[in-house]
Amino acid sequence: MTAGEQPRTALESPGGNTISAEPEQATSDSGLEALDGPFTTRQLLRLDEALRVADQQTGLTFSVYLGELDEPTRESAERLHRQLSGADTAVLLAVSPNQRVLEIVTGSAARKRISDRDAKLAALSMAAAFAGGDLAGGVLSGLDQLASHAGRH
Amino acid sequence: MIDVRIIGTTDALGALKLSVLNTFLVFAVIPLAVVAVVAALVFGGSDRVRRARRYRPGRPYDFKPIWFLASPEQVGPAYGGPETGHQATPPAIEPGVIEDSSGARVLPGPTGGASDRW
Repeated sequence: MTAGEQPRTALESPGGNTISAEPEQATSDSGLEALDGPFTTRQLLRLDEALRVADQQTGLTFSVYLGELDEPTRESAERLHRQLSGADTAVLLAVSPNQRVLEIVTGSAARKRISDRDAKLAALSMAAAFAGGDLAGGVLSGLDQLASHAGRH
Repeated sequence: MIDVRIIGTTDALGALKLSVLNTFLVFAVIPLAVVAVVAALVFGGSDRVRRARRYRPGRPYDFKPIWFLASPEQVGPAYGGPETGHQATPPAIEPGVIEDSSGARVLPGPTGGASDRW
């Protein structure tokens, strides 16, 4: 690179607030909606990190759904799971705090790495955390257990 | 004859010199000021609105549904994903092993997993 060519920076125009002073700059619209949820910013950051690390280490696609599930909940969670592209290697953790039910759905390829018994073990520890009111901690420990049972790819 | 003499007079005892106003200042105003400072720190220091927004078992949970995904572009095009953009293809998993870590056969089926309630 010659001295005349400067690398382009991410900023459209110089100046303005820093990201720490105005976090909305670095957040997408869907990210802003997540800030209205039951999690603090710190919990959201930890959740983001856990999802990214689990995806990278295992090669599976982990996702967490938090909200109402239609009855019967199992079929409803499997419908959500089918919406993911690459559903064979996807793992969905669906949690409905109002119905007090959680479903772990593993795709046909993912269930060779995470057996149903491993999934049940993760579900038990998640339910224990949820019963204590710790939504973020339960999701994090469930992701951690499922990812470590799946192993590295 | 024994000469009795009081050595200290009542003027020398400090406590008895306090006027009503001084007593009130020391024993009522100062403790109340300390209490007020502590109460102000307790109730004004934290954002109580933010803390109330959390899940408690048994209380209604009235947040909008959220779906967390490490890479949202993996949601299929029919559900708001990109139409023709590069879809991240997950790495292939070697087929053939239909048994779990303990050697027990995994039942064939489209999806597996587990459920629980609390």
